[in-house]
Amino acid sequence: MSVLTEAIARLLLAPALMVAGAILVKGYVDVGDGFSAAVIVTLAVALQYLVLGARRTEEEIPLLRFAPRAAIAGLLIALASGFFPLLFGDPLFSHEPGPGKRPIHVGRLELMTPVLFDVGVFLLVAGALIALIHHLAEPPELEEEGHPAPAAASPAAPAAREEASR
Amino acid sequence: MPAPTTRSSAHAQRDPLAWTVALLALGGFVASILLWQDGGFTLDEPWAQQLDLRLHFSFDGIGALYALLATGIGAAVFTYATAYLPLHLDHQRRPARDRWRFWPWMGLFSLSMVGLATAQDLVLLFVLFDLTAVCSYFLIGFDRQERASRVAALMALLVTGAGAVTMLIGAAILYADHGTFSIPELARALHEQGPASTTTTVAAALIAAAALIKSAQVPLHFWLPRAMAAPTPVSAYLHSAAMVAAGVLVIGRTYQLLEVSQTVTDGLLVVGLLSIAIGGAISLTRDGFKQVLAYSTISQYGYVVVLYGIGGRAGAGAAAFYVVAHALAKSALFLTAGTVTMATGARKLSQVGGLWRELPLLAAVSAIAAATLSALPLTVGFFKDELFFHAAADHSTALGILSVVAAGLTFAYTWRFWTRLFLGPRRACDRAPSQPLDRLPLLLTLPIAALSLLAITGGIWSAPFVQLAGDAATATLGHHAEVHVAYRLAASTENLMALGAWALGALLLAAPALWRPAALALAHAGERVGPARVYESGLNFLNHLSTAFHDVEVRDLRSRVAAVLLPGGILVLLGFIATPTAGAFTVGSVSGTDLLVVAMLALVAVAAIVVTTTHEHVSIVLALAVVGLGLATVYALLGAPDVALVAMLVETVVTLVFLAIVAYAPRGERPTRRELEGHASRPHRRAHRSRRWRDPLIGAIAGGAAFLVVWASLSRPAATERVVDQQIELTPAAHGKDVVTVILADFRGLDTMVEITVIAVAVFGVIALLRRGRSW
Repeated sequence: MSVLTEAIARLLLAPALMVAGAILVKGYVDVGDGFSAAVIVTLAVALQYLVLGARRTEEEIPLLRFAPRAAIAGLLIALASGFFPLLFGDPLFSHEPGPGKRPIHVGRLELMTPVLFDVGVFLLVAGALIALIHHLAEPPELEEEGHPAPAAASPAAPAAREEASR
Repeated sequence: MPAPTTRSSAHAQRDPLAWTVALLALGGFVASILLWQDGGFTLDEPWAQQLDLRLHFSFDGIGALYALLATGIGAAVFTYATAYLPLHLDHQRRPARDRWRFWPWMGLFSLSMVGLATAQDLVLLFVLFDLTAVCSYFLIGFDRQERASRVAALMALLVTGAGAVTMLIGAAILYADHGTFSIPELARALHEQGPASTTTTVAAALIAAAALIKSAQVPLHFWLPRAMAAPTPVSAYLHSAAMVAAGVLVIGRTYQLLEVSQTVTDGLLVVGLLSIAIGGAISLTRDGFKQVLAYSTISQYGYVVVLYGIGGRAGAGAAAFYVVAHALAKSALFLTAGTVTMATGARKLSQVGGLWRELPLLAAVSAIAAATLSALPLTVGFFKDELFFHAAADHSTALGILSVVAAGLTFAYTWRFWTRLFLGPRRACDRAPSQPLDRLPLLLTLPIAALSLLAITGGIWSAPFVQLAGDAATATLGHHAEVHVAYRLAASTENLMALGAWALGALLLAAPALWRPAALALAHAGERVGPARVYESGLNFLNHLSTAFHDVEVRDLRSRVAAVLLPGGILVLLGFIATPTAGAFTVGSVSGTDLLVVAMLALVAVAAIVVTTTHEHVSIVLALAVVGLGLATVYALLGAPDVALVAMLVETVVTLVFLAIVAYAPRGERPTRRELEGHASRPHRRAHRSRRWRDPLIGAIAGGAAFLVVWASLSRPAATERVVDQQIELTPAAHGKDVVTVILADFRGLDTMVEITVIAVAVFGVIALLRRGRSW
């Protein structure tokens, strides 16, 4: 990788994250939703991995190691925002505010439970995909050189090779 | 066989699990008596309302009778098993914890029998019927280290399970005609309907078939003798109070549905008589203790089936009475066989003899049980035959004569069993005459004594048994019925028939040369060409078929894909052949942005052809990316920006993942010719068939079918779009402007929830596989 790609990768990270944020926030009004936003974030992170390598990326963006936790938190947020009506005896996914009620505004942002649900989806998908990238970028058999390799890990690479060759 | 250690006998006294189950059965017995005397109860709760299913239980006469059997015989057998099971496990050198594979199933077995006895709904009946089959599967296969046990368990499950399915089909037919699964309501509807229609007859026959299979009636009786691979307490319980009794229980419960069809009741008569004859004849030739008793059970339940075939007050009352008397005698005889095996190690009549000197109490109590089964006076068994003779002689003279022959057979095989065990010169397996038998816990004899005591009590004070049978007959027939029995010291028809039966039985016992060759030939013929062989070859055929399919399907990746594409494509094509296609395919006009769409689709098609023809990994990945991104562009052109955005993003990720996989693969290496032909995963494949035509053909069929579907659905704007219109209309009410996001997060939020849960599970699965649970 040249200096140029490195520079471009660094430059692209912040705008990519901003686009993702915009898509997430504007999801209810315009094209896009939590899932698209999460995939954009993942692509931005994947670019860093590709250019800088796993070790340097994770040193420079230490937040990444919270990815599995973000995934779990996203799942819990989505569950909570979908299942809370059970507490009031309403059907699942009866979102607040209901039809006809006015949502609460913070500036031009409308606070609604479906948006919270979308944020949950975003966290889950982004966290899950980044965790996957982390694991695929550093295959266990490379990382654990020098240690006795676990039996389960070593056949993974030949198996993948076999599948690909078909 | 090693002598039982003191450790295991001491353990038997203290096993809380065993005693809990046994005491629960005893408690259930007492509760059943109280409930029965109290007049029973009815429970009717909605279960699955959309399907018209109800949890409808009623503790009526039939419920009382079979609940008393399941809990009463259960209490005796379970008490016996508290002593038997530790010895059994000890002999097989199995750990004591294996009793956890026994007691819970025994408890569930008796519970499901009580449920079955009281169920008033055909679907409920089916569920509990199957539950008894499942319990019996695990109990018959208790000695799971032995192949015979496993085969027998599977056979019992498959044969009776197939029967249960016929019952469900019968229930569905009746539901289609009358709109209810409730047995009392169906009975009323059928009686108002008058003469049975063909569909009613078919439905009744299917239900009767299920019951007959469960009661091991000819020709589907073969599973029962095999099931003797089970430990003895299981056999005793299975034969007298559970599983096999469940069959005649179902006949008794659904009798009002069966009796509307003369064909079905005649069928019951024929099957019952055949079972009596074949079961009795083969029982006389068997050598194994439990084999003799198993074939005798087939014959005995044949009596009950014949009685239901005769029907009416006499038949139904006699059948109920017969079940009780038989249960007492048969369980006692089975337990006797188990005790003798424990004492001597023998399992065959030819290995033992003259045991009364060493086991006097056992000889005495099992003699009472044998007397009960062979209908000697002073036992409750005498009355069972009196009722049987009465009903048979009333029906027709021919049936009267056949019933005497049947009772003679019973007399012969019952006393053949007892005399071979206890009389004659002393033999005990391969022990020397002076070598004593193994010492046995008293609990291996006491339950038999209790059962025999009950049998002899019934012979003197028959009132409770008579009342029980009368109540059961009332529930069976739907109107009041009573059973009358008494000793009559006169030359009544029944008494003369009984005398004739005993004389015939004694003659059979005294002169085996008269019948032995014929009975042996029958047993031999049954083994050579009987239904058991049909079952075995059927099972083998299905196994081979399944293996053949499996071979074709999962040989390699291409076969797996083809296994999805080919049946799917063929089914769709068949659907198109079956439906009218006039006007379904129209060609529209192309203008404006359509031209761009067509150009993009042409590019996608070229890329798809490149994917199938190139062998370079990177080229394949890039061509696939062209396909995906081209389609994303098409979505955008068609005015679906949300879909286009997601497709674009997903394609990018997928392409990157594929490139990463290719990076792991050996660089620049072309697949060998063998790999191209698809033989890579099975190097020694015999048949080398060319795939040059197969794969394109499969692809063409699947692709053609998909093309037809798309064309047809685009040709006529479907009515289903109304849902979409509604969702677009409702979007502002959900405070949104982007329909797709509102559908995902609000209208179909639960779907999205489940889908993202799948993502989470998949990721943590990968983590578990790659990193053994280390999440980062």
